[in-house]
Amino acid sequence: MSFKRLTPSDFLVSADSITSPCWTNNVYDLSSFFTSSAQAASSQGDYVLAVYQTSSVLDEAAIQFYIGYANAAGSGSTPYDSTIPQYSPSSTIYGQWRNLILEDENSGFVFGNVTQSQFFVASVERANYKQSLLPGSLNLTLTSGSNTIKLTDNSNMISVVPYINGTRVYQLISGSDGTAYTGLQANGYTVASGSYGWFVPDMGAILLNSIALEQSTGNGGIAMTTLNDGSSVANGFNNQSLFNIIKLGDSFELNSQENITSDYVFIRPQNAEFNYTTNPSFISGSTGEVIYSSFINNPQTYITTVGLYNDANELLAVAKLSRPLVKDFTKEALIRVKLDF
Amino acid sequence: MGYLNNAVVTVDAILTDKGRELLAKNDGSFRITQFALSDDEIDYTLYNPTNPSGSAYYGQAIENMPLLEAFPLVTQEMKYVLTTLPRGTAKMPVLDLGYAAITLKQGASLAVTPQTLNYLGGNTTFESSGYTATISDVRTLSQFNGVGINTPDAIALNSTTTVGTNVSKTVVGTTINLTATTVNTLFGSNNFLQATLTVVGRDSGARITIPVTIIKQ
Repeated sequence: MSFKRLTPSDFLVSADSITSPCWTNNVYDLSSFFTSSAQAASSQGDYVLAVYQTSSVLDEAAIQFYIGYANAAGSGSTPYDSTIPQYSPSSTIYGQWRNLILEDENSGFVFGNVTQSQFFVASVERANYKQSLLPGSLNLTLTSGSNTIKLTDNSNMISVVPYINGTRVYQLISGSDGTAYTGLQANGYTVASGSYGWFVPDMGAILLNSIALEQSTGNGGIAMTTLNDGSSVANGFNNQSLFNIIKLGDSFELNSQENITSDYVFIRPQNAEFNYTTNPSFISGSTGEVIYSSFINNPQTYITTVGLYNDANELLAVAKLSRPLVKDFTKEALIRVKLDF
Repeated sequence: MGYLNNAVVTVDAILTDKGRELLAKNDGSFRITQFALSDDEIDYTLYNPTNPSGSAYYGQAIENMPLLEAFPLVTQEMKYVLTTLPRGTAKMPVLDLGYAAITLKQGASLAVTPQTLNYLGGNTTFESSGYTATISDVRTLSQFNGVGINTPDAIALNSTTTVGTNVSKTVVGTTINLTATTVNTLFGSNNFLQATLTVVGRDSGARITIPVTIIKQ
């Protein structure tokens, strides 16, 4: 017999959480930011601005995240039709995220303790965040003129994971590594504009409270300029404004998190099994005599490969050992094969 | 293709092309139920039972060798399987197809009935589970099927067709029927086509590969 059936106890399914840097080439701290003029000028550029880690014309350029501006009233971008100014790319973005997170067209975004009708969104490229962003790993530095602020999420300051409609939503606060800077407010919020936004790890998104960023430093902001006059603001202008303060900030630290589901198969050849081989070098001549007389009663084989089959004897997966494993009548082996899905 | 780091014993596992195909079909056929072991890459002539340093060193030339990473093609893996035989076995199972090579003219047919020598104490045995036969280039044959094994798994395998450039085909049976192609365009400017036929005993694991030549008429 060449095949041995596996039993239920030979299988184990395990899920492990793997965290890694978010940016291309496993960079944790993204410090160079580029945009593509072609992308910005495209129809997609009316809504979002793609940010690269290097010049977009280089082969190694890869989109790291997108920036968008959302406004419930449609301000801050050019209306699709000037007679109905409430419909513009900014209101489209607003409705998109309201639909995704709030799941209710009558709900508003409550940043901390203040409802806001406009915000920026930084949406991380899916290939970078894999499954979700890692709470507590965010450190985003924003600089406007001479004013700088470092933002993080409040995951290390709360004991209960906050959910909105099944989606984890953390508050964005002043501070680092998931903990607030308490110089202004104990919770890391602004004085009167609520938190700095939301950190939505399961959607790979960071919502930035634009009103908070517009505040003076004394009130917790960085005096950023956001234009939200609907008719006079070109599409993409506010996206570029956020890009500028991210670029000046020079540091965007973030990790991704992924659950890898592994199927462990335990291979257990017992002492009396698999001690002979069909390897042509194991026999001499064409009649099948084993090559050495000592192999008649004390055969010795070397396991190099494990083949995993279905009932039709079709080879589904193979596992190679890094070096041969001796097998004879006095030895049993336990080989753990890990298949990742 | 690279070598595995053999400073520590690790296991490098991948899905085969067949595994990926069945996973993509999503019909439940990707279900691991059994395993086999092989000693591909091992040359037992390197085992030295007369090593003057003693028995601990007989396998010296084999035991620390670096092994290659796994190949995804099923035809390149599990060539030589380990088998479970009674202790004291002096002769290993060997397949006898009755032919050392097969040569067919265009359109000619042949039935191959494999036998297994030395299996479980018998001189000549027809294995009850039959034999799998793989033709390396199915285009060389207009007919290639196995008969004699009617289990659901064998029937399913014999009727399996994968759309695309699937150059090899595997069937199961106690008798394997081959009919040479009549398509002239396959020959190009040559007078013959060549392929290989690999037969494996489904019980013993014994394996033999012989050349197949199709002569242009």
